[in-house]
Amino acid sequence: MNMYLHELKSLRKSAFIWTCVLIALAALYLSIYPSMASDAADFKKLLSGYPASVRAMLGINLDYITSFLGFYSMIFSFIILCGAIQAMNLGVSILSKESRERTADFLLVKPVSRSAIVSAKLLAAFTAILVTYIVFFAVTSIMANTIKISDYNGKLFFMINLTMFFIQLIFLAIGMFVSVFFNKIKSVLPISLGVVIGLYMIGAVLATGKDDDLARFLSPFKYFDITYIIKNANYEPRYIICSIVIILVAVVSTYIIYIKKDIHAVS
Amino acid sequence: MGVIEIKNLTKHYGKARGIIDVNLEVEQGEVFGFIGPNGAGKSTTIRTILGLIYPTSGTSTIFGKNCIEYPEVRKELGYLPSEVFYYDNMRVINLLKYSASFYKKDCTKRISELADIMELDLKKKIDDLSFGNKKKVGIVQGLLHEPKLIILDEPTSGLDPLMQQRFFELIGDENKRGATVFFSSHILSEVQKMCNRVAFIKEGKIIKLEKMSTLQENNYKRISLETKAEITKEAFNISGVSDFGVKGKTVNFIFKGNINTIMKKISELELSNISIEEPDLEEIFMHYYEKEN
Repeated sequence: MNMYLHELKSLRKSAFIWTCVLIALAALYLSIYPSMASDAADFKKLLSGYPASVRAMLGINLDYITSFLGFYSMIFSFIILCGAIQAMNLGVSILSKESRERTADFLLVKPVSRSAIVSAKLLAAFTAILVTYIVFFAVTSIMANTIKISDYNGKLFFMINLTMFFIQLIFLAIGMFVSVFFNKIKSVLPISLGVVIGLYMIGAVLATGKDDDLARFLSPFKYFDITYIIKNANYEPRYIICSIVIILVAVVSTYIIYIKKDIHAVS
Repeated sequence: MGVIEIKNLTKHYGKARGIIDVNLEVEQGEVFGFIGPNGAGKSTTIRTILGLIYPTSGTSTIFGKNCIEYPEVRKELGYLPSEVFYYDNMRVINLLKYSASFYKKDCTKRISELADIMELDLKKKIDDLSFGNKKKVGIVQGLLHEPKLIILDEPTSGLDPLMQQRFFELIGDENKRGATVFFSSHILSEVQKMCNRVAFIKEGKIIKLEKMSTLQENNYKRISLETKAEITKEAFNISGVSDFGVKGKTVNFIFKGNINTIMKKISELELSNISIEEPDLEEIFMHYYEKEN
């Protein structure tokens, strides 16, 4: 418990900043919505001028774009990208910071097992993500209600938002998994940005091709097709299963590798 | 049963040598010195004892239990690493409280006692501390839970002589209280002051394990002389002199044995300069242990 609280304390600043960034991003995009909605026809015409592949890459679906949820789903893909970077950063740094800040010799000689350390850190990171998500959802809900022109489906709005939480959990797990392979990570950002943007680009390229359900497994950003969610008010089960498998495998391997790892002296 | 027991411990880093077939037993209540030049494998041995690294083969236990399988045995362990780093944005007192929170006992009194002895300002941010002051944080941190086993890895680097003195007194008191001390260093004289037994490690192997009383009979001094008249090698043809070098009027050698003998010898000469130093370990190894083995 003491480790959990300690970690939580050290995470609060970055979690606060990221939450603000995500909310600011959402506010910026949502502020366009009222003007766009009033010129819906023109806007649609403008977008239909784009090649279909570019529209797909940007996540624009002409049938829905002028409805609130359709618009939100388009901008939401950028917010998810941001959220994924936050989660990946958190995942990569939370275990590796003991080596980076050279405090491993302090923490790892305390009378606690390494798995207890991983658990405390994992739980703290999870809490940070959860709090980020709850605050983000609360604030965007208020924003959505202020700018809406016609009523939208609140349940769908919740479901769309929840996809960010899922994706963040996936990247948190991947981040921790990646970090245990390094003896010392000097700088977290290149790794997390590289992996997240890499997967995002793969996802964007996939979207331009024909709907290949198998290829979608390659990028977590494609696990939650928002058009599908709007149409069916449900998630696609196989990608949910895939997400859970990725998270479980990454977390379990993190435990195994971290417990078996040699903690080297500072240099 | 020894407080620390190391049996046939070997550790390789890939193909690089770590330590080879190390055997040690540290008994309850003793101060055990662990001496060797840099890179000899001192830290590797200590990190294996602590459960920070896994041995390639062999076992290491404290209080009869392996630290990795039974992390709770580390409750009775205090460790001071050679280089200390702590969570920079914390205040000293918060770090110490965090450290204490792992031991499930009230350490507040001990913290303030130790901070008084080491003249450590508890309210400062760790970030703002000098290297020596960080080291003090490390000392307090390692002792605040009154451990039964204290492991020190080159503890005095960065401390000024006065603080070194206090530190040794502190460790001495802990030892009187019943704590076993495992003291690693590359400075022989430092270890000589307080240890009961000393193990020498070189290139990953324990080359000698001696009682301090034996070692103290043998003082090692590096002596340099400048004489008024030219001297010959024969003038110092007594036992205990080695690494002898003469260059015109300057003489250089290491002496092992009773200092009085050599002082008498030197007093027969007309000197213009003299210096007597502690030889570094490297030299002692080179000129005694290697030959003896």
